[in-house]
Amino acid sequence: MAETETELVRRCLKGDNSAFAGILEIYQDRIYSFALRLLKDPVAAEDAAQEAFVKAFRALSSYNPARPFSSWLFRIAHNACMDALRAGNKTVSLDGEDFPDLPDRSAGVEDMVADSLDAERIEALLASLPPLYSEVLLLAYREDMGPAEIARVIGAPEGTVKARLFRARELIKVKLTAVKVQDATV
Amino acid sequence: MDMDSRKTDRLIAGAIAALPYRRPSAGFSARVMAGIAAEAPQPWLTGVLKGAGLIVTAWAAALAFVSARLVYANFADTAALLIQPGGLGQALNLLAARAALVLAKAGSVMSLGLDILSAAAAGLPAWYEIAVAAAVCSAAIAALSHGGRFARQGI
Repeated sequence: MAETETELVRRCLKGDNSAFAGILEIYQDRIYSFALRLLKDPVAAEDAAQEAFVKAFRALSSYNPARPFSSWLFRIAHNACMDALRAGNKTVSLDGEDFPDLPDRSAGVEDMVADSLDAERIEALLASLPPLYSEVLLLAYREDMGPAEIARVIGAPEGTVKARLFRARELIKVKLTAVKVQDATV
Repeated sequence: MDMDSRKTDRLIAGAIAALPYRRPSAGFSARVMAGIAAEAPQPWLTGVLKGAGLIVTAWAAALAFVSARLVYANFADTAALLIQPGGLGQALNLLAARAALVLAKAGSVMSLGLDILSAAAAGLPAWYEIAVAAAVCSAAIAALSHGGRFARQGI
């Protein structure tokens, strides 16, 4: 039977560095995919993921086993990605909620949206969103975290997380509608 | 929120949940483990460093306590002098006199300590044996600290 995260973390804390390879095996794809979808650059995503794992190893003694290990690790990955975005002069609006204006959607749009949600399109739509929005969507739906857990990961109030989730979904719907209308006119 | 909107939200959630995880390049794990090996200090070295840090902190705290007591004991006299005209000079003179008194007391304490030491010296090893032991200890401590630094640098 495979060792649990808690056992692996305990072994690491006792000085067994090889146990971290187990943690790496469990999380490398998840953390790398998260970074890739935020940074949209494989090299930058690998750098950020590597930095996150090394920082996590260094800070293992500060991990509280009462909380999920995944959200603790994703918090470190979030910080690494935000640092990478800032270093690349990409806009990361952290000071205030800079919500874009959303146009009204016409009736019947929901059916149109429902028809066109394939993996490729949703991936492209996520990539077109500002990182603050794609991040909450990924954490909520791909990583199956609740608003409270996401709030701990991104270091924002729970209300902000819920607002960002709502806006992110609305943005996706608007963009998807625009794509469909464009397809229909061509 | 109407039913259609809820349905679309569920579809968006489902589509994102079904996104595949991407795999980093082949050498990723090895690079991370190499980074960790370079970072990780030896557990015994961490213990030694923590112990040394604790001793330094305790010593600094004791020193701060003694200094604070000295300042507190002399504060009433010096503060009263400072508010008078030309009081600064008088306060400095007073502090110098107090310092001379403390030095004289320290001298007495030191000579008493030397007397006690010389009385106890009969049972101590010869001075050159103590010097050799001190030199060996210093060399061992220096070697350990260099070893730790090199280990951290991956040398």
